[in-house]
Amino acid sequence: MNAEFQRNLWLELTPRRMFVMAVVLALIFFAAALTEGTVSGPGEAARWLYYVIVVIWGTRNAASGVVGEIRDRTWDGQRLSSLGADTMALGKLFGSTIYNWFGGAICLVVMLADLLSSRGPFVALIDLVYYLAIGVIAQAAALLASLIAARRRQVHSRFDIFVYQAVGIFAAIAVYLVWAVADPASSIFAHKAPTNFIAWWGLGLAARGFLLLSLAVFTAWMLTGCYRQMRLELMMRNGPFVWLGFLLFIGIYVAGFDAWLSGNPALIHLDAVARRLLLAGTAFATLAYLMAFLEPKDRVQYRWLGGALAKFRVGSAFMRLQGWMTAYLATLGIGIVLLLWLGQTSTPPDQAMVGAMLGFFTRDMAVIVLASLMSRQHGSDFAAAAILFVLYVLLPAIVKGLNFEAGMVFFFPRAGDPLWLSPVLAWSEAVLAAAIAVGRIVLPEAQPDGQTADA
Amino acid sequence: MIDVRDLVYEYPSVRALKGISLHVASQTITALVGPNGAGKTTLLRCLAALEPPYSGNVKIAGLDTREAPRDIHARLGYLPDFYGLYDALSVRRVLIYAARSHGIAPALAGAAVEKAAERVGLLNRMEAKAGELSRGLRQRLAIAQTIVHEPRVLLLDEPAAGLDPQARRDLSVLLLALKEGGMTLVVSSHILAELEDYCSEMIIIEDGLIVGGKAVKVRDVERPRYILEIATARSDLREFLAGRAGLDVIEADAHHALITHTRNAAARAKLIRDLLAAGFEVSSFGESTKALEDVYFKQVGHGR
Repeated sequence: MNAEFQRNLWLELTPRRMFVMAVVLALIFFAAALTEGTVSGPGEAARWLYYVIVVIWGTRNAASGVVGEIRDRTWDGQRLSSLGADTMALGKLFGSTIYNWFGGAICLVVMLADLLSSRGPFVALIDLVYYLAIGVIAQAAALLASLIAARRRQVHSRFDIFVYQAVGIFAAIAVYLVWAVADPASSIFAHKAPTNFIAWWGLGLAARGFLLLSLAVFTAWMLTGCYRQMRLELMMRNGPFVWLGFLLFIGIYVAGFDAWLSGNPALIHLDAVARRLLLAGTAFATLAYLMAFLEPKDRVQYRWLGGALAKFRVGSAFMRLQGWMTAYLATLGIGIVLLLWLGQTSTPPDQAMVGAMLGFFTRDMAVIVLASLMSRQHGSDFAAAAILFVLYVLLPAIVKGLNFEAGMVFFFPRAGDPLWLSPVLAWSEAVLAAAIAVGRIVLPEAQPDGQTADA
Repeated sequence: MIDVRDLVYEYPSVRALKGISLHVASQTITALVGPNGAGKTTLLRCLAALEPPYSGNVKIAGLDTREAPRDIHARLGYLPDFYGLYDALSVRRVLIYAARSHGIAPALAGAAVEKAAERVGLLNRMEAKAGELSRGLRQRLAIAQTIVHEPRVLLLDEPAAGLDPQARRDLSVLLLALKEGGMTLVVSSHILAELEDYCSEMIIIEDGLIVGGKAVKVRDVERPRYILEIATARSDLREFLAGRAGLDVIEADAHHALITHTRNAAARAKLIRDLLAAGFEVSSFGESTKALEDVYFKQVGHGR
């Protein structure tokens, strides 16, 4: 048996804890059965209990899987073990949450019994896959977030764990909402008829089948992400190719939903290719922002990267690119392709907007890096978020309050007269922010008093 | 066994190691000493392939920490300064997990666990919870975890911190036994007197550099240091000693001499006999227990 999983079994799945879980759940289901017809039956109770035990509580335990080891000073010992990254990742993911899965399994049995009697075996089977997938995706997302964060800080507060848990819960909510689109029993979109077919790359695909397959693929990507982050923790190197593969996948996947934009009045004049490029670029940019916030921004690594590039060791530098850098380059690349395409099929204002968007996007990346270099550890994310808040909300609000509408061009892409103004201003801000960031990386920092190397 | 060349390690705001080169021979115990903040822990973590060097390279048993970190982890045991244990697990389960996670097959894990527990004297506490052990016993358990897979290299950061005198003596005996068993040990500690018991070489780190540029030999097991005292001053003490074969005078005056001499008991007895026969009133003759401290204070800040 996986040694890490077994250790978690010893810690988590004691007979007493199992007994308590089984008795408490049995009592709740009994109470639900007694109130069936007035409140809800055992099936409905099992559904919500599953979300509480596996998604909400499970993400907490998954987020604590590695962070708890760091806090308890056992993580270095685990990093020095002979366990492979896959064994460690799976052992942690399913081991730290094994008690939740024990409770979740009881809920699933009750749920399936209810579904079999009310909606038949086919729906029961599909729902089983959905519930398992939402649990794994949520917990894997929480573990992934904690693993990414583990690489940049050694001290983790309860709030940090809550943040990693929240990432998992958000992933679960996204899955829940997407699934509700095709679920006739969903109460979320009760006012609309469920979608039986999904338009993707011009094809009309059966919604449930498509979503199930999507869930399976995203679960696989999430587990791959955990595995690769664990490799880094175990001091193994990751090349950029798997991340590039994910970017390619997500670009193709998201671009397929161009039909969803066809009703948007602002984009109605764009052809399908432009809409697809826009969707893929937006997905890349979202990932770039996400990774820029999550990944460690280490001045030493950046110096090393800069040194490799200066010596034209492009291959070596390429192998060490961080996720946000690759996503940034992918966004830039697809943005240029979109610019060229719009040059043939659309109007200059569209090109100006795309050019300005790329400029502001570049500025934001530089701002996030710069904030992390100027702040000490913990505050860097908040500092970056605060600067972006000032740039996108506070200053525009002041400018608007002063009735200086033309000044908005400093903060948002705007297609005004002259057309070149918005992209030029955006790129000027980007160059300025990037120059300051590079300066902070290159120039040696004054050593604070009392800084010790042993710590 | 351990080769370090021009090792540089940087934290974002400080260069912790500034170009360290060192060699640690196989089956030795090397002390790693230096003031707080000198870079000892950082160096140990680089040796353990837990931190990647900014430049330079570290080789353990011929393997580069950058190229084969996991192979090094399999050959290495590392006890950090501040370590944790799985308090809710029994001693046996803690060690079984350590054995299994170091790749020992389930069928062999039991024997490996028993051996490690016996070495650290925990055999009679196998079913006790780790969280219920005293500090000294926890330390023993932590050491047992790091040696359960019989690593070739053992790195210990302040292993005797918080131990009582008896536990420290037991630790010294254990470390010497591990060395005799074939392990190469590097031990970081502030307690020089304790290192004296088992270290043969010392690496002094100060401000991210090795003082003197290399390890200092502080104790030769075959030729230890002895202090000789005579009751009546004799100006020819140095001359008398210097003329004898198999004996080196480190320093001497009219009353004292610090020498290196073979450990052989008969040879020492003959030396004392010859001294007495030559009219030296020997009042004391014994092994020096301050060699390491002497070397340390000579090297670091010149007796600071």
